Amino acid sequence: MTEKQLLKGNYAIAEAAVKAGCECYFGYPITPQTEIGEYLSERMYELGRGYVCAESELAAINMVIGATSTGARAMTSSSSCAVALMQEGLSYACSDELPVVLVNVMRAGPGLGYIYPAQGDYFQAVYGGGNGDYKLTVLAPSTVQECIDLTYRAFHLAHKYRNPTMVLADGLLGQMMEPAEFGEYPYPEIDNSSWALTGAKGRPNRKIYSCARDEDIHNEHIKHLFRKYELIAKEETDWEEFNTEDADVILVAFGSMTRNIKAAMKTLRNQGIKAGAFRPITLSPFPSQRLSELAEKCKQFIVVEMNMGQMVQDVKLAINGKAEVDLINRPVGQWLSVEEITDGVNNILNKIPAKVGV
Amino acid sequence: MEKNYIIAGFGGQGVLFAGKIIANAFMVAGKNVTWYPCYGAEMRGGTVNCEIVVSDDEVSSVHKQGVDCVIALNQLSFDRFISKVNKGGTIICNSSLIEEAKPRADINYIFAPMTDKAIEFGNHKLANMVSLGVLSETEKELNLAILEKAVDMVLPEERKHLLKSNVQAIELGTSKQSSLV
Repeated sequence: MTEKQLLKGNYAIAEAAVKAGCECYFGYPITPQTEIGEYLSERMYELGRGYVCAESELAAINMVIGATSTGARAMTSSSSCAVALMQEGLSYACSDELPVVLVNVMRAGPGLGYIYPAQGDYFQAVYGGGNGDYKLTVLAPSTVQECIDLTYRAFHLAHKYRNPTMVLADGLLGQMMEPAEFGEYPYPEIDNSSWALTGAKGRPNRKIYSCARDEDIHNEHIKHLFRKYELIAKEETDWEEFNTEDADVILVAFGSMTRNIKAAMKTLRNQGIKAGAFRPITLSPFPSQRLSELAEKCKQFIVVEMNMGQMVQDVKLAINGKAEVDLINRPVGQWLSVEEITDGVNNILNKIPAKVGV
Repeated sequence: MEKNYIIAGFGGQGVLFAGKIIANAFMVAGKNVTWYPCYGAEMRGGTVNCEIVVSDDEVSSVHKQGVDCVIALNQLSFDRFISKVNKGGTIICNSSLIEEAKPRADINYIFAPMTDKAIEFGNHKLANMVSLGVLSETEKELNLAILEKAVDMVLPEERKHLLKSNVQAIELGTSKQSSLV
């Protein structure tokens, strides 16, 4: 179907996974992403593909590890506090170089939190809650159309680089509807015959195993992982920017807050303030280099996010003192409105101290 | 030009369904549109609502503090959203279940006995559709042909036989069919 239809973010992600060739889904229900599993429970059955409503999130992520180790296209989806339960599995999957696809539709934390939307899992996604040196590839959609496009890309990148890839959405995006179209899955097939565990008949046996009792081999393994992360950063770092050429102030946001900073940018321009907007599409790898370049000219960056200030730290690292970096934020609940953002920007530009968390 | 709508009522009155019809209708009319529901525990009692933002440009934000047009299908929804209506905005009220009071002077009120009309028609569950007819009187994009197409888009295959009665109920809310407005 190529015609635009009004689609809910969660259903968009689920059907995009189907179109990306997902062969197995393992998951456990949690608001605000339950529709993904609900939709796939019927759709995967219709298509004769695998669907397991797992007994827990730990089981789900380990089932995905099992399935992907055979080269299969497999995914799980969950939300914040339950993605926390999957962190051990993600660390293993990174070390094992497995093409796990994980969708996190964020809700409010910490702890059990609640079901309303938030962006508090930036650190969890980008820096990880598992042990050891590893990096996920993290994609952050901002519209329902991007829920489709970035789910496609997540399957592609996971298999192309043999690295767990996360789609980091939020409750607002999961629950809202917007016109979108699926088109066709745009990426080529990836041959995984060189590593997948498919039975050793007629070939030497293989193992996928993250325990390394030889220090030298272990060192080399981790260096290999990080050479791969460098390659991903070189080839796949992605972002969008708007009106940055002449900007005196650049607003930075990720995910569904992108829409609000773009609208705030237009309002600020009408008020005579030369505002621009910057939005990382890949949170990991982070577009640090581009932000650094922009900071040669623009001397004021303002990060807008629904948490107590997480991505702002990566923006500061990228800009490295070359420009001012401020924060407009609220930890959870109603998305910062365009007026709150423009008021916040005016306060920062006029050096009026802001309240913490607006 | 951007405008947002909230439709609210009891769980079971079909407000999310009616909201999807509004969103689809504006999409068919060529507008950019988003639909965002309250979700979770709220649905198990009390009021349900969803917000629709319609824009000629890209939608600026999906969930706003103020609202240009509220459709309240019950008293609880009226009480909850009356203070959120933007100055000069409109509240469309189901007067079968809402007292005809005008606590604010800076907004417009439309009262129509939607549930009574739906009962007269033979099914109280169609009050949500009657409300769409009332809305169509104030929104030039929402003509009957577009609303009918939108109902057809939202109805699942196994419920297509209900298209006619839904469209008839929408007509009941328009001035052509009654002296409601």
